[in-house]
Amino acid sequence: MADNSPQPAFPATRREFFHRSASALGLLAFSRFAPAFLVDSTLAGAPAPERDRRILVVVQLAGGNDGLNTLVPFEDPDYYRLRPTLGIPKDKVLATGGLFGFHPACAELHRLFQDGRLAVVHGVGYPNPNRSHFRSTEIWETASGSGESYPTGWVGRYLDNSCAGSPGQDRDPVAVHANTLNGEPLSLVGAQSHPTFGLSPYSGLGGREAEESRRLLESIAGAAGRPGREADFLKQTLMDTLVTESRVQAILKAYRPHAVYPGNPFAQSLNAVAALIASGMPTRVYFVTLNGFDTHANQLPKHANLLRVLSEGLATFQGDLESHGLDRQVLTMSFSEFGRRASENESRGTDHGTASPLFLLGSRVRGGLHGAPPSLKIPKNQDVAFTTDFRSLYTTMLEDWLECPAGGVIAGSFPKLPLVT
Amino acid sequence: MPDAYDTLPQPSIPPESAWDPLPAAGWDRGAAAHLLRRAGWSAEPESVERAVREGMELTVERLFAAGGAVFPMPGPVADLERDLPDIQRAARQAATPDVRRQIEQEARERSRSALLDMTIRWLEFAAGPEESARAKWVLFLSDVYVVAFEKVPRPFLLYRHFDLIARRGLGPAPELTKAVSRSPAMIHYLDLDQSRREAPNENFARELFELFLLGEGNYTEEDVKQAARAFTGYRADPSGEFRLARAQHDDGVKTVLGTTGRLDGDQVIDVAYGLDAAGSFLPGEWARFYLCDGGIPGPWREALGRRWRAREYDLGWLVRTLFSSRLFYAPEFRGQFIKSPVQFYLGLVQDLGLRVMPVPRLIASPLRRMGQALFDPPNVRGWVGGRQWINSASLQARRALVEMLFSRLNEDALDADERMDLGIARSGGAADFCVPDSLLSPLLGLKPEAAVDRLVRRFLPEDPGPAFREALLAYLAPAPANPAERRRRTKRAAASVIESPHYQLC
Repeated sequence: MADNSPQPAFPATRREFFHRSASALGLLAFSRFAPAFLVDSTLAGAPAPERDRRILVVVQLAGGNDGLNTLVPFEDPDYYRLRPTLGIPKDKVLATGGLFGFHPACAELHRLFQDGRLAVVHGVGYPNPNRSHFRSTEIWETASGSGESYPTGWVGRYLDNSCAGSPGQDRDPVAVHANTLNGEPLSLVGAQSHPTFGLSPYSGLGGREAEESRRLLESIAGAAGRPGREADFLKQTLMDTLVTESRVQAILKAYRPHAVYPGNPFAQSLNAVAALIASGMPTRVYFVTLNGFDTHANQLPKHANLLRVLSEGLATFQGDLESHGLDRQVLTMSFSEFGRRASENESRGTDHGTASPLFLLGSRVRGGLHGAPPSLKIPKNQDVAFTTDFRSLYTTMLEDWLECPAGGVIAGSFPKLPLVT
Repeated sequence: MPDAYDTLPQPSIPPESAWDPLPAAGWDRGAAAHLLRRAGWSAEPESVERAVREGMELTVERLFAAGGAVFPMPGPVADLERDLPDIQRAARQAATPDVRRQIEQEARERSRSALLDMTIRWLEFAAGPEESARAKWVLFLSDVYVVAFEKVPRPFLLYRHFDLIARRGLGPAPELTKAVSRSPAMIHYLDLDQSRREAPNENFARELFELFLLGEGNYTEEDVKQAARAFTGYRADPSGEFRLARAQHDDGVKTVLGTTGRLDGDQVIDVAYGLDAAGSFLPGEWARFYLCDGGIPGPWREALGRRWRAREYDLGWLVRTLFSSRLFYAPEFRGQFIKSPVQFYLGLVQDLGLRVMPVPRLIASPLRRMGQALFDPPNVRGWVGGRQWINSASLQARRALVEMLFSRLNEDALDADERMDLGIARSGGAADFCVPDSLLSPLLGLKPEAAVDRLVRRFLPEDPGPAFREALLAYLAPAPANPAERRRRTKRAAASVIESPHYQLC
């Protein structure tokens, strides 16, 4: 392959690659330079995910959600002892017929709970909790123990274990993230490279010039240069982006939701997720973030707003899926890096805490309360003890929902919960 | 906990000699361009020539010279500061809740628009070649000592925070840290204003140790609790001045990081600077901001940390040492670092000889989509940087910005305020906010091979290789006979070079 050959030395586009590989050009000869989508899809050679496979939507409540004021133990005098000003009055709580009720801003989630499509797991956390946002988020995203550091995320390892591309076809993203603060979440990072896509409210160029621009960029981006980790990473991301971009734009434009999504970015992201699911995109995991839960001061109005956004967004999403007949295919799970301190602070807020309840939503979810509520018989400024390890939830999602043995994804063995029907 | 740095690749120069100055023989065009791109935003051919001529030491001195221009407080920010007490009074005295809400809504709008104005002014300031390196250094330090508009919607407090960093950013680090602990923006951002003798709020003390000074693993939960007591009573007056509320301050005995006494906030900071971890922490942050994804391993940080401590944490010494070091110029760090969105845009402005477009909607919003809203980092850790900048959404946003700069500005689509801003910016003389035809004209006279060569050499930090050139050539050659089509294709080729993966590196 001399440099002065009429063709570029390396296939510049996916189309050209498949054309050329059909004419028996060895793939491994240039695998070092080829974009990820070319290499690992060919090596893996596994069938494409089927369209009706199950989908997991992970909703991150970033900042540390105050679980005690989300699912309120309104019959527990210790709750009001620890929360003299922030406690939600019993007559405001949306009761569920037991000892716990929902924050008044969660009307829609309350309704879904009453209908049996929402499960809440009490006291989810892990031993030796870390109170740093970043470290604790890392622990949740990588499913590590408190004292361990893993380079990959739990969803990424799931993708490593179960996913492969579909050579011969445009390779769609196996994981999609939306509304995240720092780009691709660590959760989605695997040991292998997987095509992922970040949804942006922005829609790019249109028309003929756009197509020409994409083609030219594909041809020069695919060209070999000095190999290097950063350069290769950029090339891969750009090549995957260019291909997915035009496709996703067409899908979002054509989608007609059967429900009216609120205008906030979180709900709009869920709207886009619904559109991609409805399009039959083989994406297995969606990751959507709702930010702002770090309520150290004057928490009541802020937290109520956040819960309203969460509740309205999730309920609209669920309704939309149901009216499209997609609801039995989708399960939504929330998480937050920690709950907040049981006792309120002196700034009408709450500081970093430990365990908190976690939501599961969907038509295949076994609704109701699960696990054991943490005891509030604790002195001021002490944290509640977790009752369910978050890796039990992951194990359940992997095995009972995504039908993937958890052994290769989660280190250690954690009992499952009966959450999926 | 295992240190995430432990898995980093080892630099090619051993820790003992990594921080020695680059030998004169290593100072060439490549090294000079590397310094200019990394310390500032771009490597203009003339600046590279000058740096080569003057030598490394003089160039580093010049880039970070003390006593340069300071970023002045933008008018709308000052106006808001002046008017805010009246606005708040009017809101309190409003006749009905609806009127009050309306007043508050207007105040929020004014804050947001003042922030956007400050974003544009800062970009204009930082785009000045003489200010670039110092402005970037301030951006770096503000990415350590983070405050954010989201929590502190007072642009004048954010301005003061940046200003104090700019004024102390090349002096002794402990003085900077102490000044930051008194910064009204910080006092509000990390809830010091809620922290009382009876009820210390841990937020500031925790981040002081974890994210400003020492790094995780170098302090205990108890240190955080005790240190929080020392910072009780830190307040900001409505006028924005620091004051210590004695009645709220806990002046009792505390034990922090092994030192016991009636420690106040400044003394806690001094105690922390007594730890080795304080010496190696900032060099680690520097490496992640300026050098390479993920930073450098412990032994390299520690080697510099020891020397820096011996210099009593002089930031001026640190900056000169960092940017003169053999490590900084090591081959593995050349052209292999992903540009931040601000570097991407300001580099583009300098590379293309443009002025910062004074329209927030067209500049500040793209920066946010690319992941870097100035004065509003996502959380107290600041921007992680490196690969974190890049995902499909942020790449789309980078491309969209390039396309905007390469198209003719449609002024009819601007609102009246925006047209006025453009007019004011132009009144100082002819100014290009978008790529002018004159920039492309020299390329049009060239043969396609030569045009490709010019584009590649001018914009990319490393040669992208023959396949890249051939792909570009296949698009440009044979040159279309129609001049308009020829111009269009040349423009498209230039835009594509800038949208290519290679241009995202520096």
